[in-house]
Amino acid sequence: MSGDFGATLAAGVALLRSLPRRRDQVEWARKEAAEWGAEHPAVAAQLVVDERPGTPVVDYDLLLTHPDGGTVALTAPADEGVPWLIEHSTHWAAGQLVSVDEVHLSVAQALTMLRSLSNRDSTPHDEIVDQCVILNEVLSDDEPLTTEDLQAAADEFRRGRGLYDRAATLAWMERVGMSPARFEEYIGGVARRRRFRRRKEAELASGYLAAHRSRFDRVRAVWWAGPERRMAASPAELLAVPSEVTGEIQVTIGERWAGDLPEPLRDAAPGTVVGPVEREGRFLTGAVLDRRPAKDDAETLAAAGRAAFADWLTERRRRASVEWHWL
Amino acid sequence: MILILSDLRDDTVEMVLPKLKRLGVPVTWWDSGDYPARSRITLALGADGARRLMLHTATGTLDLSTVTAVWRRRPTGPTPAAHVSEPTHRTHVDWQAQFLLDGAWDLIPARWLPSRREPERRAHNKIINLARAASLGFAVPETVFTNDPAELVPAYERAGGRLVAKQINSDSFTVDGADHRTYTTVLTRRHLTSRHLLQHEPVILQPYVPKAVELRVIVVGDRVFAAEIDAQASRTAREDWRHYDDDRVRYAAHELPEDVRRRCAELVASFELTYGAIDLIRTPRGEYVFLEINPNGAWAFVEMRTGLPISDAIAEWLARGARDE
Repeated sequence: MSGDFGATLAAGVALLRSLPRRRDQVEWARKEAAEWGAEHPAVAAQLVVDERPGTPVVDYDLLLTHPDGGTVALTAPADEGVPWLIEHSTHWAAGQLVSVDEVHLSVAQALTMLRSLSNRDSTPHDEIVDQCVILNEVLSDDEPLTTEDLQAAADEFRRGRGLYDRAATLAWMERVGMSPARFEEYIGGVARRRRFRRRKEAELASGYLAAHRSRFDRVRAVWWAGPERRMAASPAELLAVPSEVTGEIQVTIGERWAGDLPEPLRDAAPGTVVGPVEREGRFLTGAVLDRRPAKDDAETLAAAGRAAFADWLTERRRRASVEWHWL
Repeated sequence: MILILSDLRDDTVEMVLPKLKRLGVPVTWWDSGDYPARSRITLALGADGARRLMLHTATGTLDLSTVTAVWRRRPTGPTPAAHVSEPTHRTHVDWQAQFLLDGAWDLIPARWLPSRREPERRAHNKIINLARAASLGFAVPETVFTNDPAELVPAYERAGGRLVAKQINSDSFTVDGADHRTYTTVLTRRHLTSRHLLQHEPVILQPYVPKAVELRVIVVGDRVFAAEIDAQASRTAREDWRHYDDDRVRYAAHELPEDVRRRCAELVASFELTYGAIDLIRTPRGEYVFLEINPNGAWAFVEMRTGLPISDAIAEWLARGARDE
């Protein structure tokens, strides 16, 4: 070992012993290590931060290139006077999501609980994985965000949570424990994911429209859904509410993309009555009143882009490696 | 008269009270945390050997010489009156009051569950109870109690890299102001790099014992109840069921082999206890391995999740003293 390398090792140890070992000080530690690396370019130093779960304590390793090739890993925890088991202890609520009175809810229990409350199309599990899939896609995105990107993301985020003014937003931030700086950072992340989604939708839209053209026909339709079978000879009968109907029924008259209609109506010809058909425990009877073939206009392309993105995400989720640590 | 010493918010006592009522035995539930601030105790020893042992509480007077059984569950410590405010005066009162209580309890000619303070304190010591269990023929893990950093790596290697660390005694502490816990921890190589910190506290090092199930065995007098706690389906509680992941942990009554059952009762009796909660592991090969005994360990969750009639056994044990008179 050359004398220079020996001196570098000693300097590396001194660096490691000086770094602050708390999660909220990691960025400062990274800067220190980067400066140290710039002073010792021959060893191509890299700091590895080991953030242990359930504790604010972090560990560091320093990877250095040996003059004869290979890597040297340095770790140099100092004696800070903390007993060993305390050093390796975890927060009492590690793995807990929320405590309400005497009930401490674990992350696992919370996710299970939410699953039972979720709608049929998307479980919280899927939603979390979807968000992680998109996070993966933007991991290496360092393209600067424009003011418009940030403003649009912030507006969309606030609208989605009913935060229509500054006071409501500040109250929400306080409730979830988010500082203004953290909120800005958070919105930056939202904007990146939003930008990725928009671009992906634009990229996939025209191909998807070409492959699923009939799904984007504009269709005006009427349908009944209720606990009893409703017979109708013509669409006109469906538009009249008979006096003998009992119980709760739902009548919908509207214009939709064909693909967004109840499944039995999607490919129906105008003027033909479909049903009664049993669907999710209710009986559906309906008719297409008018169908206009899909156009290549902006509105249709936007809808095709959203549908294409949903399919892309489903496929991407299927291929992803997912490990629920606490389930 | 049965005297129950416990915090008045203790739900476990509530599980036994109706059983005692059915058995028709009078009960006094008192917390020594009331003493001396709100209760008075007088112990008078006459020249002729006569004794007067009186407890006056906010709700009545109890002649302690009439007590036939004491259940020392979870009493809180003596508490000085609020306006005894000078810290050294409060410490002084604590000290005097605890001595008085120990003396009073020694004079009561009653049966105790699990015991007076001293036998319990001795049995609670993991070093003593592990050694005692081994001497009674229990299988125990190879165990090192140490604060010598040089012991860590050899223990890790002997365990084939599957070494667990435990506290000698449970306690509370904080890190950056937040309460932290130390559970049974399966060590990684990262733990070895801080071996020097071992010098600051003794710890327990044991090879990881593979589990088919964990067992909590409750001994009441000569009756032995065993519950298996199958935490293998839970990533959270797999190494230590005290993480309580109840959705994924299975509890069930367990039939112990006769020799293990007998040894559990012997272990409790050897410490002059009448109650004990013993933690065992049954390995995939069917061996029963002793981990520790908690002389006043929890049993309520065992009864609630398995239906084992432990509260009945405790009530009957306590009432037996009164009926034998």
